[in-house]
Amino acid sequence: MASVKLSNVWKMYGQTEAVRDLNLTCADGEFLCVLGPSGCGKSSTLRMLAGLEHISAGDIYFGDKRVNDLPPKDRDIAMVFENYALYPHKTVYENIANSLRLRRMDKALIDQKVKKAAAMLEIEPLLDRRPAELSGGQKQRTAIGRAIVREPQLFLFDEPIAHLDAKLRAHMRGELKIMQRDLGTTMIYVTHDQLEALSMADHVAVMHEGVLQQFGTPHEIYSQPVNEWVAGFIGEPPMNFVDCEMVEEGGSLCLTHPHFTQVLTEAQAAIVRAKDPAGQRQVRLGVRPDEIAVLAEALDEGIKARVLVTEPLGGDMLVDLALGDSKLLAKTKPDFAGQRGDECSLTFDRNRWHVFDRASGLAYF
Amino acid sequence: MADTSSSTVELDGTADLASVMRDGRRTINYDPPHLNPVPSRQYYFYLMLPAIIILACITIYPFFWLIYMSLHKVDIGGAGDVWNDFKNWTRLTRDSKFQDGWWLLLKYSAMCMFMEVGLGVLLAVILNNSRAEKILVTIFLMPMMMAPVIAGLVWYYLYNGTFGWYHWLLESAGILGETSILGGTSTAMIGIVIVDVWQWTPLITLITLAGLKRVPRDQLEANMVDGAGPVRNFFQISLPNLYPFLLIAILLRFMDNFRFIDAILVLTGGGPANSTKILPTYLFDVSFQFFKLGRGAAIALTLLVVTIILGLILVRVFDSPASKTGQTQAGN
Repeated sequence: MASVKLSNVWKMYGQTEAVRDLNLTCADGEFLCVLGPSGCGKSSTLRMLAGLEHISAGDIYFGDKRVNDLPPKDRDIAMVFENYALYPHKTVYENIANSLRLRRMDKALIDQKVKKAAAMLEIEPLLDRRPAELSGGQKQRTAIGRAIVREPQLFLFDEPIAHLDAKLRAHMRGELKIMQRDLGTTMIYVTHDQLEALSMADHVAVMHEGVLQQFGTPHEIYSQPVNEWVAGFIGEPPMNFVDCEMVEEGGSLCLTHPHFTQVLTEAQAAIVRAKDPAGQRQVRLGVRPDEIAVLAEALDEGIKARVLVTEPLGGDMLVDLALGDSKLLAKTKPDFAGQRGDECSLTFDRNRWHVFDRASGLAYF
Repeated sequence: MADTSSSTVELDGTADLASVMRDGRRTINYDPPHLNPVPSRQYYFYLMLPAIIILACITIYPFFWLIYMSLHKVDIGGAGDVWNDFKNWTRLTRDSKFQDGWWLLLKYSAMCMFMEVGLGVLLAVILNNSRAEKILVTIFLMPMMMAPVIAGLVWYYLYNGTFGWYHWLLESAGILGETSILGGTSTAMIGIVIVDVWQWTPLITLITLAGLKRVPRDQLEANMVDGAGPVRNFFQISLPNLYPFLLIAILLRFMDNFRFIDAILVLTGGGPANSTKILPTYLFDVSFQFFKLGRGAAIALTLLVVTIILGLILVRVFDSPASKTGQTQAGN
């Protein structure tokens, strides 16, 4: 077991900077997710941790030990690859036993460990098969078996369940989390799927274009995004953004838009005034679809909008709305009666909305 | 039960056929009323016909003609072919040159194969990790571009007892005595093997190099994380993935060794004292020096049959389940 620390790590491929000045720590036994869209440098980070990629600048520590110059085999890590990377000419048993055999472990002990790992992953009946005879989910279990059998000090998972079908993926999220908690091994898990990151991790590191955007618990990432990009990336369906002016009106701060005026709470106004005492501000309001309440009739109070289209999802209903020139997406119950072209009225959840500086994209709250 | 099945029958509009509920799902246990016709494939046959006819003329006809010749005393003067009661075949059992020819051929191709595959794979691995890969490949390919006769002549001069550079080098080093490399019965075979290795190792290198490019990188990396060093990584991951490529390379070289005798004819002509008279050279002598076309045909047929059998064995060996799954995996 070990903690992991990345200190001012850079990765350059020629002129391209894949990872820029990354600082991360992962405590012993923790589940850390590195989350970001493709090309954000998350895989490069993982490969540097594995020793498969040279670290262009900065240092990586496992515990107190600097591992920059250690080859993969001496780092005591186990990695699960995106497309499993099973050895096609070996059986499932041999695939799992490979790392133990390479360490010249006693045969009886290998057998015992492989059987134990297989039992844990429920792949005992498959041990004599070759990878070509396995389904996607079985391949993935074998790949995980290969990683856990060695009891390494660190697991590195590179989008291990990205290629499974949606139902199996949802199932595996729970299983992986249980497995990690049972084993207690430090885990660094790379994914582009926010659902995986939010549901499994102790801490999430959100990356974009090689730069760490935010590091925090899943709850922090979701409810207190530090900037507009993180706010827009996390959450499904994504957050709505509306450009507003922020003005002082009768002792309170208001957001004004051609179609509405909304008053900030006292606490929010205090935060804004403390951060930025200047008078008039160009801001952007961020509201998640499920923080907008929609009523099918046009009331006098409330914000008036027009229904563009409704998208029933079974248990929920998404409503595409037009608010002047801007479009909003709201999540409501399937009994919503509005039709295309109808007027309706909205209320924003004042306690859960976010306001960003329009120029810098930084969040006020 | 009766209730649910009646509701699904309505769904189909086929009132007389039953669909059955099982494990909470609707299942169908009848066949479709009629099948749509499968498009005819005859069209493809007509497309292939010209090729088939040409192929028949240039390969199948000579093949049967070869069998015919092997059963007759063939007269090239035009006196007509005479049936000779399998004499062409029975004489082979008493022909010591024929048997020696086989032995020498097997020795020759085994030596060539081991050296070419070993060297070829080694070179490919080195080239694959080299920055100057492209220019080096171009240089290594040069021997292969040369006509075998020319290669033979080049080496003939290099080996020459009076002015050959290699001869001089080996003699100066005290390895070689008075006789030239091609002049000694023990060294001549090695001499012709070296020429073949020099000319054809690049082919193995080229094919292996193509194979190395297709070895899945994540498998190599997974094995590294599992704890393998570069050498183990090569034998555990690269080599099994190379089997299909090596099969093609070995098959090609092995068939070539059974037919290419240009260089040998130029270098030794089968001598000294028949020490390099491998079967194809003997066949050449019988058919085109002594014009015993019937006997030559019999020898050629044995060569053909053995080539086919060895080829099948090779395919069987390399087509083991391991290398087979390796291929399908690579295709994913």
